Amino acid sequence: MTRLAAALDSFTAAYHARPDLIAGQRGWSRTILLQAADTRESIVLRIEDGRIAPARPDSTEAERPELCITADAATLCDILELRLGPNEPYLFGELTVQGSEADLLRLDYITDVLCPR
Amino acid sequence: MPPLTPPRPTVGAPGLLAAGCGTAIASVCALGLFQIERLLGGLWSAAAILCAGLCCLGLARALGRLAGVVPSGAGLLAYLARGFGRPAGLALTLPYVLLTLFLVGAEATLVGRVLTAVVPVPAAVGSLAFLVGTWALCQAGVRVGYRAQAVATAALIAGLAAVSLASVAAAAGSGALAARLLPPAPSPGAFVAGVGQALFLFMGFELITSQAEVATGTPAVRRALLGSVAVLTGFYVLVSVGFSCLDPDAVGAAGATDEAVPQLALAGHVGRGPAVAAVAVLSLLASFTSYNGALLALSRLTAALASQGVLPRRLGRVQPGTLVPSYALAALLLAAIAATALVSFGGAMQPAILAAAAAAALVYAAVAWVRERPPFAEPGRPVLFRVAAAMLAAALAALGLGVVLAAGPARGGTLALLAAAGSAALVAAYRCRRRVPGPALAEGGSHAR
Repeated sequence: MTRLAAALDSFTAAYHARPDLIAGQRGWSRTILLQAADTRESIVLRIEDGRIAPARPDSTEAERPELCITADAATLCDILELRLGPNEPYLFGELTVQGSEADLLRLDYITDVLCPR
Repeated sequence: MPPLTPPRPTVGAPGLLAAGCGTAIASVCALGLFQIERLLGGLWSAAAILCAGLCCLGLARALGRLAGVVPSGAGLLAYLARGFGRPAGLALTLPYVLLTLFLVGAEATLVGRVLTAVVPVPAAVGSLAFLVGTWALCQAGVRVGYRAQAVATAALIAGLAAVSLASVAAAAGSGALAARLLPPAPSPGAFVAGVGQALFLFMGFELITSQAEVATGTPAVRRALLGSVAVLTGFYVLVSVGFSCLDPDAVGAAGATDEAVPQLALAGHVGRGPAVAAVAVLSLLASFTSYNGALLALSRLTAALASQGVLPRRLGRVQPGTLVPSYALAALLLAAIAATALVSFGGAMQPAILAAAAAAALVYAAVAWVRERPPFAEPGRPVLFRVAAAMLAAALAALGLGVVLAAGPARGGTLALLAAAGSAALVAAYRCRRRVPGPALAEGGSHAR
């Protein structure tokens, strides 16, 4: 398992330990692509009705993610392991987003609730 | 892993161009044009705007490259932080941002004066209603869409262009065209100051880069940047010529002071009541779209700085329903009201405009410079381009200095605002030194404490 995948598993566990937070995201379904610019790793985060859905490794259909987040691997892991919110590296150009700003704001809100600083 | 196609882009060059022009054009720009007219006059004002437009064309090319390498909605701060480091990026960008807040005060003051032409309310009440009303919409998560902004911008450009052309025609008809357009030549120092002040008119066009996330691609961003500079230059030159053709007696004593609402004076001179009402409504729409976008962008920056501990952490809290940082918005509303009071009752209108122009010149100089640094400069980039960029950066810095030196009675207030904004920026830059990330999650998903 790659470090990015392990970090995503940690994030999933932390998120699913908060049913109140999941309830607040009901109705929100997104496919989010996380790309590490330095290691060329990428991983998909699927959210279905507010819950993080398991990966579908056997799917052969081409998917269009609604949100694509690119940063170096260390920054992505820091975010997924709740050491860092996405807004800070975003502001300083170390994390870029392709897609809706509203979805990034929602992710930032979720990480902020999971790990208040 | 199945192939993943990127998210569907939504905004093309025309939409971006409208957004860029809409952000740059606000009521306070009419006052800026009027100040340039008082400083230079006639075609000299138009020449100053053309020179500023040429500088901004160079900037537009640089910004296109920056947006291509770092396609971030954070725009200027992201580029300067990547090129110079976080503290320097913040120190360079924050004065520009803070003085934008003062411009909100100037804009609100003008909105109050414009409203008195349409409804019988005191100007201060109109200003407060504008600030609180826009804030309330932002709190509800309302953001002006691209289409609405394009319509409002196009209508304002068409309206003011029409009254400007009518003013030129009226001057030509009375045989006064040559006298109004060809005043005595200004001093070189005054012309440089005029070009520096004209940079202020373009403030906000660079926010096109903040739409890079939803643009149809980097070429669309580049075309929109260049197109917006061309549109803004042409529009401001036309309105400047329109102001030059105004009969000085018709403008009256108010035109020579900071109590002027120049666009209404222009409309009233050529079209009386209906033209004044139309220009007033278009100006209010432009002010609203400009302030709405600025407030939401500023609130996000405030929240991000709060999350880093640069500002009180409470300001970083985001409302779950609307996803807006409501405490940050409230703090910005209070700051905007204070800025409006200072402008309205403290005579800070001209210092606000001049300080913003100087800060814009500085940050634009930094943009021209950072384009030649990693990660933006291409390997093997010809020396000629680097020299040209250095010259552009130096010219922009000199223009900013020229604005301050030629500020006259407003110099003290201008320097005070620049010093306050600069000090706040240095403190924020010191406090935002990169933090060491906290401990990793423990097994089971709970955060280690």
